[in-house]
Amino acid sequence: MLKRAKKSDKIILTVIIFWCVRKMNIKKLQKRLDEKFPGIKVREEDGCRFVTGELDDWDKIVKACSMCVSKDKNVHVVNDIVFTGKADAPMRVPAQTDNTLDGKRPDVLVIGGGISGATILRELSRWNVDALLVEKEADLAMHASGRNDGEIHPGVDLAKGSLKQHYVLLGNQMFPALSDALDVPFDRCGQYACFTQNALKGFVTLYALKRKYIDGCKETYIISGKKLRKKEPNLNKEFKFALYNPTAGCICPYGLTIACAENAVQNGAEVSLNTAVLGMTVENGKITSVQTNKGTLYPHIVINAAGVFSEEIAKMAKDRFYSIHPRRGTNSILDKKAGKLLGSIASVKQLELHTHTKGGGLLHTAHGNILAGPDAVETNEKENFATTPTSINTVFTKQKVTAPDLTERDIITYFTGVRAPDFEEDFVIEKGRKTKNLIHCAAIQSPGLTTAPAVARDVARMAIDILQAEKLVLRNEKFTPVRKAPPRLAEMPVSQRNRMIKENPDYGEIVCRCEEISKGEIIDTLNAPICVPTVDGIKKRVRPGMGRCQGGFCSPLVAQIIAEHQGIPLEEVTKSGDKAFLLFGKTKGGEEL
Amino acid sequence: MKELVCIVCPNGCTLHIEGEGKNIKISGQKCRKGLTFAQNEMTNPMRSICSTVRTAFRDVPVLPVKVSCEIPKDKIFEVMQAINRVTVQERIGTGDIIIKNVCGTAADIIATSNILKE
Amino acid sequence: MIKADVTIIGGGPAGLAAAIEADKNGAKVLLIEREARLGGILKQCIHDGFGLVRFGERLTGPEYAERFMQEFNERNIEAKTLTFVTQIDRTGEGYTLTLVSRDGMHKVLTKTIILATGCRERTAKQVFIHGTRPAGVFTAGTAQNFVNLCGVMPTQKCVILGSGDIGLIMARRLTLEGAKVLGVYELQPTPSGLTRNIHQCLHDYNIPLYLSHTVTRVFGHDRLTAVEVAQVDENKKPIDSTRQIIECDSLILSVGLIPENELAETLDIKIDPNTKGPVCDQNLQTMLKGVYSCGNALHVNDLVDFVSESGETAGRNAAAWTPKKRLFASLFPGDGVAYVVPQKMDLTDENQKAIVYFRSKKVFTKSSLQVIVNGVSVYEKKYNHLRPPEMERIEIDFAGFDLKAGDTVTLKIKEGEA
Repeated sequence: MLKRAKKSDKIILTVIIFWCVRKMNIKKLQKRLDEKFPGIKVREEDGCRFVTGELDDWDKIVKACSMCVSKDKNVHVVNDIVFTGKADAPMRVPAQTDNTLDGKRPDVLVIGGGISGATILRELSRWNVDALLVEKEADLAMHASGRNDGEIHPGVDLAKGSLKQHYVLLGNQMFPALSDALDVPFDRCGQYACFTQNALKGFVTLYALKRKYIDGCKETYIISGKKLRKKEPNLNKEFKFALYNPTAGCICPYGLTIACAENAVQNGAEVSLNTAVLGMTVENGKITSVQTNKGTLYPHIVINAAGVFSEEIAKMAKDRFYSIHPRRGTNSILDKKAGKLLGSIASVKQLELHTHTKGGGLLHTAHGNILAGPDAVETNEKENFATTPTSINTVFTKQKVTAPDLTERDIITYFTGVRAPDFEEDFVIEKGRKTKNLIHCAAIQSPGLTTAPAVARDVARMAIDILQAEKLVLRNEKFTPVRKAPPRLAEMPVSQRNRMIKENPDYGEIVCRCEEISKGEIIDTLNAPICVPTVDGIKKRVRPGMGRCQGGFCSPLVAQIIAEHQGIPLEEVTKSGDKAFLLFGKTKGGEEL
Repeated sequence: MKELVCIVCPNGCTLHIEGEGKNIKISGQKCRKGLTFAQNEMTNPMRSICSTVRTAFRDVPVLPVKVSCEIPKDKIFEVMQAINRVTVQERIGTGDIIIKNVCGTAADIIATSNILKE
Repeated sequence: MIKADVTIIGGGPAGLAAAIEADKNGAKVLLIEREARLGGILKQCIHDGFGLVRFGERLTGPEYAERFMQEFNERNIEAKTLTFVTQIDRTGEGYTLTLVSRDGMHKVLTKTIILATGCRERTAKQVFIHGTRPAGVFTAGTAQNFVNLCGVMPTQKCVILGSGDIGLIMARRLTLEGAKVLGVYELQPTPSGLTRNIHQCLHDYNIPLYLSHTVTRVFGHDRLTAVEVAQVDENKKPIDSTRQIIECDSLILSVGLIPENELAETLDIKIDPNTKGPVCDQNLQTMLKGVYSCGNALHVNDLVDFVSESGETAGRNAAAWTPKKRLFASLFPGDGVAYVVPQKMDLTDENQKAIVYFRSKKVFTKSSLQVIVNGVSVYEKKYNHLRPPEMERIEIDFAGFDLKAGDTVTLKIKEGEA
């Protein structure tokens, strides 16, 4: 008895010491905060570090919160600092409201149609469950998943111990099979981190050895400048050596998202676009209902894959224990003519540059364009996708060092995405801490595309485990992992293409001259499991308008095909859904006789 | 002295006009068309307009048209309204008259394309 | 396998003229057109002013095109419409074209090719407009297609960037259809369109023209809601204090045309960086044997009459083509000259008369064009005005200049003398 008592005392003592250390840590932290950001307070509560106060500069908020990050990975920073600067616009919600989803009781409700949500939905469709994904935009992959460079990361920049690192190694290996099954081109083109300073060679070699033997990123090599130029002759002649990562690759990020969702739908899952989650009812630690613009749903389990809005969803679910600080990045796409610049992924590495973007640099996309970017800028605006000249300049100034022949003249388009990191700069993949029928798949930032298939497997497993505790859940016997992309006629041998055209003459009518896309291929996308009858929706799926004329010639034709297929007048066709109308009625004053 | 740019041909000559009304002196033109243009422009400026008319055919929703001769500049929008009111019901072709003597201008609205006949 | 002497790619004004002329000269001609109808961009250019040089009449675009289409049809020249060339391969002395159409895939074996593929418009991204990506950013040509062919309105209230001719024409056209054009903004200190278009399209309708101005940013998420405009300094950089937000629903761009030479590039045909079209000799044969270029694919013209003329030159010469080795003297743009077409004189050809097209780099008044052969001025022509928007055409007989292979001919503008 005595011994036992002593043992429990010991435990209590340990807990007290631990608590005291924490308190002291918090005290020290507060002192440092007082010095740098007077008025900002931090307190630890419920396993979170709440940061409070008032600041008018968003960058300062990010810095203050980042200072508060705990060494304990389970403790997250929650940003409660009031931002007194220009407030972000409220979340954009679809204009349309109806009752089409009202009263539905899905087993699993996935919120967010990005790569996370889509891969999770596909994993769920392996089971006999009612899975429904809601996405507030008119298409899938409209935020970060549609606005990134498409790199499949090798994981060389991550040390053991983070979720990111765990999943990046798993995810990377899954891509060949996944891209095969889903018919999305994936190119394991390799990546070169290039160095101009020979003096760094020793350091980088050690770094590579650590990654290889301790962190488990097995394939990473140091290669000489000569060998680098043999593989990529257009890179800077000044590069002395490079870190070569053959497992890096690229894939079309929105193409993969759409393919995953389509495959899930083929297997019985449901996707509802233009559907925003507006509120939730939480009772006794459980979400009992979810309000959307299409009615109230009563899901068994909710998966939060809402990207930049995952913190808002967590808050609605009364389970907010992390904070998102949006980070903007801009990529430029170059004309295919410039595609010869390089065949892989490459970037100059300068040690003094510390940014929260991995790869970046120059990338030969799966479609054969060169992509340059992205940069990384902290922002409070979650949905501001506006581009600025500064971003392009930053990227080009840096990347002209990588490849001196790079020129802004070859740019055909550019776009901005907003990433959704938390202050710990790691993923949040876990069951709700207070709300029991909730799973978070949040704070997914780079390399979120690479990790998605591996993360989805675990998240779906968590959901199935919760369901199985309540009822019997069987595997979906009819599940097929295979999804066929619409045929790409231009890539076929002449004889096969000829045969396809004989069967369907629409395949012989070229609509987009830059990318050589036929009317038949466009109609195919409108008949796909998920139909997005907008000019941008079609552009994302089969690429008319992605070429050098950027839709100048083909957009009227594409709009006409959509109108005909949907049985609507031309002037009701939109660019990207909702109120993005292309046209204002008919000419002739609009009056019909 | 007034300056005008002749719009008759792509040369776009700059014309210099002295005096007013009918007693004017014109210079700067490369050809006689410039003279006529300047005279008209000072008294009764005339313009040609081109537009489209609605058709009853789905494959060709609108048909290109023009005025058969120039119309007074200040009648342009009145003529446009007349053009906007008609709907072509037959497969007519280039040169066919759609509106005769539009708005009393002596000009006809004529088709400028055979697209309906192809 | 279809066989032809001359295969013309593109059924717009250049291609039609080339086909007719090649047919007149006895060749077996095949014309390939991507769209369902012949006529090219003229189908949507319903305004008048075409054909003054050639016909002495002010025709509309469709009327001008149909004059050629009529002759084309009367001559029973073979045309394949709704047909797209996917590939060109060299076969012996000739070429094999792979075509795709609603009937399937076809091959054409041809002795010569005339590239009459026209041009495309520069886009918003190519002129580095930033901001959001809403619906409502159109090139003038796309807006013209919507209005004139589809009968639908792309805008009710717009700003036009660029004073190129299509932009000016569309300003008037949209106004006639009831839209409000708030202004035309031009980066350069002088208009890029023809003077008479500034007058008859803008001044007649009280549409303001802002020179040395540009659009810097686009606003709006779904549909465009506003643009930011600013005056620019001498280096074309926006002046911050002049930035101004204009509410509108569309931005229409008329910021330049670029010859379409994607097919030429697949054949590694040498392109002139000044014209963005193939380098050609006086017969409009490119540096690749048996391949010709004409119309706006060769260089961007401001008058269709010259497009037809270059089509005829190419058509006539392609019909007479025989394999031989050419020897060249080179033509270069000198002081004040933006570009020169042709860029080469084939000295082995009997015909040493060349129609030379050129544009000045800036506005010149009372100046003269000089042709310098190996440092010696051999030809001079006086001009009251030379303006970059207005292409100039001169005929020069090089026979008397004693040109030798490798010689250089420079065209330059001498200022202030007349």
